[in-house]
Amino acid sequence: MSMAGRFLGGAQDRLLPAAIPFRFFVTAAVFHLLAWMVLLLAADEVAGFRGGTGPVLAAIHLLTLGTLAMTAIGASLQLFPVVTRRALTRNWPGHFSYALMLPGVALLSWGMALHQTTAMQLGAGLTCCGLLVFVALTANNLRRASSIPVVAAHGWLALATLFVAALLGVLMIWGIELNILSNRSGLAITHLTLASYGFMGSLVLGLSLVLIPMFVLSRSLPPNPGWAQLGLTALALLVFSISFVSEFPGLIWLALIAGFGGTGFYLWQMAKILRSSMRKRLGLPFVLIRASWGFLILTLLLVTAYLAGLAIPNAVSLIGFVLLAGWLLTFLCGVLHRIMPFLASMHAAGKSGLPPLLSDLTAEGPLMLHAVCHFSAVTLCGIGIVADQSLLIRIGSALGVVGAAGFATFAIIVALKVRQGPRTS
Amino acid sequence: MAADGLHVDTRGLPPPDPLVAVLWHITQPERNGPVIAHFDRDPVYLLPELAERGWSYEYGAPDSDEVRLTLRPAP
Repeated sequence: MSMAGRFLGGAQDRLLPAAIPFRFFVTAAVFHLLAWMVLLLAADEVAGFRGGTGPVLAAIHLLTLGTLAMTAIGASLQLFPVVTRRALTRNWPGHFSYALMLPGVALLSWGMALHQTTAMQLGAGLTCCGLLVFVALTANNLRRASSIPVVAAHGWLALATLFVAALLGVLMIWGIELNILSNRSGLAITHLTLASYGFMGSLVLGLSLVLIPMFVLSRSLPPNPGWAQLGLTALALLVFSISFVSEFPGLIWLALIAGFGGTGFYLWQMAKILRSSMRKRLGLPFVLIRASWGFLILTLLLVTAYLAGLAIPNAVSLIGFVLLAGWLLTFLCGVLHRIMPFLASMHAAGKSGLPPLLSDLTAEGPLMLHAVCHFSAVTLCGIGIVADQSLLIRIGSALGVVGAAGFATFAIIVALKVRQGPRTS
Repeated sequence: MAADGLHVDTRGLPPPDPLVAVLWHITQPERNGPVIAHFDRDPVYLLPELAERGWSYEYGAPDSDEVRLTLRPAP
């Protein structure tokens, strides 16, 4: 608990112990590094990947569950109590969720890489239990929310889609053993869509309504565009899922139109926030965040082109890569660049005086290395997938490894500074 | 402005408006004296921003209705 929190005590304190969010963030940085390393080893299989177990699937889950979900859980546990004005009732579920997720994701990825069904089943079980604890904890907080209902509603959509995506994931893993699945590729695409656009996307869209104005120092926006963004996103996810279950492909165009609509409302609000920013220099985090918005548009354009029958080589791999490494990973890294030193400063703050400067709590060199290598990696891998050139994917993945190592260095430096403890003033 | 300084009451505002309102007031060119900011939650996200602008803070006595911070330019 921060000094300020201890001083204020009780329900006023909505700042979690630093160990909870930072444990998730540092672990996400390590899984991020592992994801690029496995992709480097599997570079020959990336362009032609169409599903199935193996190292590419392992790299995908090291990225989605290990990096994106870990970051999302750490950030949600920290931010939702602030947004909802309701403190988490207990801290132990956060630790418990982490204790289940860490071995779960490691075991699941290991099993996927080596085609070990038992390891996958055990890993999926542990991961789902960890996610369930997170869902229960967040749902309990959202249920008591009294502030910013539009952000809380995005949280509900994220939890609902996470639940269905996890269920489909478990079904597919058990289906390997039981051989009961007829439309396996349809289930896999629905699982990916609900996990990425659904769970992660809803959190990104919802928390952006608070985080982006906070980062750039801009007033909050009226709620109606946020509700429109949420409604269209929910419609897109629902119609997309129905189109795959009912095998009625025409519906997918309706889902796509709704997806473009939701994205349009989101980006319009982000542009409005940036225009009224009080902060003139937004720095490296916003180079990443702005680029991620470009990747979001690119994924939707690629899906449109693919559905329209345009001959894009290895389109499925390319869309998945741009979606996960382009949009979501770039956005989350941009947010972590900014929020980790910020949280460290908050946790070091005393009941009076001056907390440490953000510039004293960050690591500019490793962050710059990460940003340069990340953009190079995404670009080279993307070109490599389209051109079916394993060498380009290998070089890109190697740069991804270097960038992820830079990011992990930054995360560890900040975490060590937090461990030094709060000021005594 | 009250005798003890400028009071900025942010209670009832959604996040991040309290943060933005207080920072707007302390960055006005003529603002040198104390600012007493009233919040309905612990403004933890404000503290790093104050440090960046060279303003110190001091929490007021605990109150069930509000959190009060007195802000001054750091010496």
